[in-house]
Amino acid sequence: MDRLLRKRLETRFDGKLLGPVRQRHDETEIHVGTADLVEIMNALHDEADLKFEILADLAGVDTGDQMQVTYHLWSEMTPDWLRVIADGLPRDNPRIPSLTGLWPGAEWMERETYDMFGIIFEGNRDLRRIYMPPDYASFPLRKDFYLADDAARSPGGGVRHMEQTHVPAQASPNAVRRTVKTR
Amino acid sequence: MTASNHHQPHLSSDDPRIMLDGEIGQFESVPPYPPRTEREAEFYSLRDGEMFLNMGPQHPSTHGVLRVVLKINGERVVDLDPVLGYLHRGVEKLCENSDYHHIISQVDPLEYVSSLFTEWAPVMAFEKLLDVTVPRRAEYIRVLTGELLRVSSHALYQGWMALDLGGLAPILYSFIERDEIVEMLAAITGQRMLFNYFRIGGVNGDLNHEFMSRLGDWMSRALKEHETNIGLLNENEIFVRRMRGIGRVDRDMALKMAVTGPNIRAAGVPFDVRRAHPYSVYPELDFNIPVRGSNGGGDSLDRYLLRLDEVRESLKIIDQCLHNMPDGPIMARLPRLLRPRPGRAWAAVEAPRGLYGTYAISDGTDQPFRMKIHDPSFVNMQLVGQLMKNNLIADTMAVMASLDPVMGGIDK
Amino acid sequence: MTTVSRSWGNMTTTGKVVVPLLLLVLVLGPIATVAIGSWIGPWIVGLASANLPIVRFLVAVTGVLLFSIPTAFIIIYMELKVIAFMNLRVGPDRVGPAGAAHSVVAGLKVLSKEDFSPNAADRTVFTWAPVLVFLTSVMTFLILPFGPDLVGMKLNIGVLYLFSIGGMTVVGLLLAGWSSFNKYSLLGGLRAAAQVVSYEIPLTLSVVGLILLAGTMNVYTLGLQQSGWFTNWYVFRQPLGALIFFIASIAEANRTPFDLTEADSEIVAGFATEYSGMRFGFLFFAEYVNVFLVSALITTFFFGAWNAPVDINAILGFFNIAPITISFELGTLGIALLIAIAVLPLILTLALAAPFYFGKTQRPAWQALVIGFILFNLVGIGILGLIAYVNVPWIAGITWFFLKAFAFVFVFVWMRGTFPRVRIDQLMGFAWKWLLPAALLNLFVTAAAIIVVKSL
Repeated sequence: MDRLLRKRLETRFDGKLLGPVRQRHDETEIHVGTADLVEIMNALHDEADLKFEILADLAGVDTGDQMQVTYHLWSEMTPDWLRVIADGLPRDNPRIPSLTGLWPGAEWMERETYDMFGIIFEGNRDLRRIYMPPDYASFPLRKDFYLADDAARSPGGGVRHMEQTHVPAQASPNAVRRTVKTR
Repeated sequence: MTASNHHQPHLSSDDPRIMLDGEIGQFESVPPYPPRTEREAEFYSLRDGEMFLNMGPQHPSTHGVLRVVLKINGERVVDLDPVLGYLHRGVEKLCENSDYHHIISQVDPLEYVSSLFTEWAPVMAFEKLLDVTVPRRAEYIRVLTGELLRVSSHALYQGWMALDLGGLAPILYSFIERDEIVEMLAAITGQRMLFNYFRIGGVNGDLNHEFMSRLGDWMSRALKEHETNIGLLNENEIFVRRMRGIGRVDRDMALKMAVTGPNIRAAGVPFDVRRAHPYSVYPELDFNIPVRGSNGGGDSLDRYLLRLDEVRESLKIIDQCLHNMPDGPIMARLPRLLRPRPGRAWAAVEAPRGLYGTYAISDGTDQPFRMKIHDPSFVNMQLVGQLMKNNLIADTMAVMASLDPVMGGIDK
Repeated sequence: MTTVSRSWGNMTTTGKVVVPLLLLVLVLGPIATVAIGSWIGPWIVGLASANLPIVRFLVAVTGVLLFSIPTAFIIIYMELKVIAFMNLRVGPDRVGPAGAAHSVVAGLKVLSKEDFSPNAADRTVFTWAPVLVFLTSVMTFLILPFGPDLVGMKLNIGVLYLFSIGGMTVVGLLLAGWSSFNKYSLLGGLRAAAQVVSYEIPLTLSVVGLILLAGTMNVYTLGLQQSGWFTNWYVFRQPLGALIFFIASIAEANRTPFDLTEADSEIVAGFATEYSGMRFGFLFFAEYVNVFLVSALITTFFFGAWNAPVDINAILGFFNIAPITISFELGTLGIALLIAIAVLPLILTLALAAPFYFGKTQRPAWQALVIGFILFNLVGIGILGLIAYVNVPWIAGITWFFLKAFAFVFVFVWMRGTFPRVRIDQLMGFAWKWLLPAALLNLFVTAAAIIVVKSL
């Protein structure tokens, strides 16, 4: 709970945050939009009092009505983890600038996010599937992922009941459901 | 840039049991479809004198099922492309459909060599979501078993580092050491490998007599056995010459490639989650963070020696845990059906391979909404591509082994 | 007749072939024996005695070929057991006493595997490459002296023959690697070619100094020249040559630390990846025969071939004692001999069984007797062996030759269990930058020394 960090972030990125800086336990969280993402990340990486040099994680999240990409950063200047949530990616065409210019090691993490969610990272030189076979047709970790869609085109041919091409009356438990409170 | 060996007509039917005549003799490892990305196009086009060598998923030396497509010119590796996914089990999706308690056994097989750490991070994240304090005795037990497992994992690393270079003896010595530790842990957890020991709010079973006697017995000779194992290899001229100068990682490259763990500490960056962002009872323990390669970066030999240094530090930590172990409960009181508050939590621990983190999003129900696992080996494997340009094939193995990857985590 | 026709009707096809054949053999057998005994046999013997060198050669060749397989078996077993003990393991211990029959069973396994070749492989070359590798290893046994007068052929250009035949191994390895239609095999084969060719030069050069000193290329004569005290061994006169030969021969035999042609952590089995069954058996055995071969060469060239380190007769001659021979006429004993043959085994068995029956472990009587009997047999063999060693010169020769050769085989196996492997560029650098200049230096110094000593 680093109050100083919160003040620094609020003053530095005044107009660009999509919400207040939230802090809980040892994490600080900011929400940004995809347009400002690269600039904010560069500032977090380069500035002397921020110096978030270590990218700890890059995660994609499907909240049901939109998609997010979450970054976790660490700096030696603050005892908190910083969580940057790039919010507001539309579900039908999620695009976000890539951070491979700043951290080339984010390449595989972005590939994984693309593979699991379908989020396109613009600027990633190698945005192809990493876990699933290259000709796989859907994105597994999305909330509306049915095995049925894919299995019907698979060599197994949809033999098992779950794979038949019918959408069950009540969609799969993690499908788009009630408004999800993640706050 | 010849794209001609790309667009080979893919003659096979969908049934893998049928092999059409036209397919006989086609052994290229190129994908049978046009390149979709810039990097793919750059990699899968051959210049004069180059050829693809597929170190396929079945190979004695890739640490698990990993496929590495090498582009070689004679014995020199010009480029390399790791192809993952042969061990992908969809753990994150499974976790979304599991109870919070069930997740602990789901994530065990990720870093199967040191699986207590793969349980530790999710458990810490869930404890943050539940705002639960873990009793001190449980924290000490967690640190004790974690450090034991770190010693065991690094001992195994020594062995298979030598095995990949061709020496047949050290792996067996490593397994002797690992066996003792794993038997110890089996005494309290009931399992030799995928422990399923940590619980949300504490640990599953208290220390018992068998564990303490085995531990005491082992601790009395641990340091000496460690020295013996070191003596097996460190002075060996062939071993040192194979490792020195290979795979040099400097500070900038390590930070940019988001590498963590012994790989970054051998490049001169003193980043260890236990000191950088202390968790559990590490603030109370006295240990150093060994760092190597502070000027100019570290090579494979530095990574190897660093892990040996870390074993010594872990032995110190185990000693302190044993002496300062408090009494008390080993589990916090929690309801059986856990419904954390809706929110997000991130927790990271220092696994033997690097920063192992979990990002958990809860939506108020008894199953997490999203559970992202950050595995250190996944990120470390990107280094292989960077380090292998213009080295020999034999060095691929040396570099890959020196980064200590575990395919379970890479391919979650 | 009906019995016969009924039985004939009930027989299987195989039976219908075998039974008439058997009857034919029974009828023709005596006739054939008489014929061979009276006419064909003597004709063959006459032919043989007229062409004795050819017969000798054929016998030598057969012996050599037959000899290589059991040697390979022994070395395989030794390797598995010795490396196991170095790794704090047990090694094979199921088949036979302490796993001794393991190699035989492994050989049978290799024979019983399906013998296929890859679809796109060049089948002729694929089949004949292992044969080439095996033959070039085995052919060099022809000139190895196993004891005084125990040589296949006393070739005057023995050393030249050795290296020219050994040079053909490269061809075999390269063919094996190329014909497998497999990139791993190709890499392995090319590495093998590069390695073997570059280490052959220091190998050959290191022996040239020896040849200058000895004045002959005849391998048998080299062995004769090292008789007497062990200070006659050439290792004391050509230490650098011996060292270079030793190191280069490790590379020639594709053994660790120079075994990157079959490095199984990088290129699965190198040039032998696509081989299975008996073809792999050939390659596999060829490697172990090679190991024995280079060990034998080291002992022949530098460590005294079949000669014992100390010449007991010379020592005794110094003290004016006659050379030892154990000889007595068995006939003089007469009836005592019969009694001895009847009674001695019994007495010795009982005597050797007594400690096991009365001692601490108190075994049951029959167990003690069995142990006693086995020990008696061993003692008898030992005594007979001692008599043979003293009386018959070539037994001593063989014993020492094999002792020394297997000591070097042990060193090779020891190195396999200990060292990691070197990289190809380190290997080539070592050969061309270190071994070759060292061998040349050795050669020049030897030549200069000879001239200086001659002119004195």
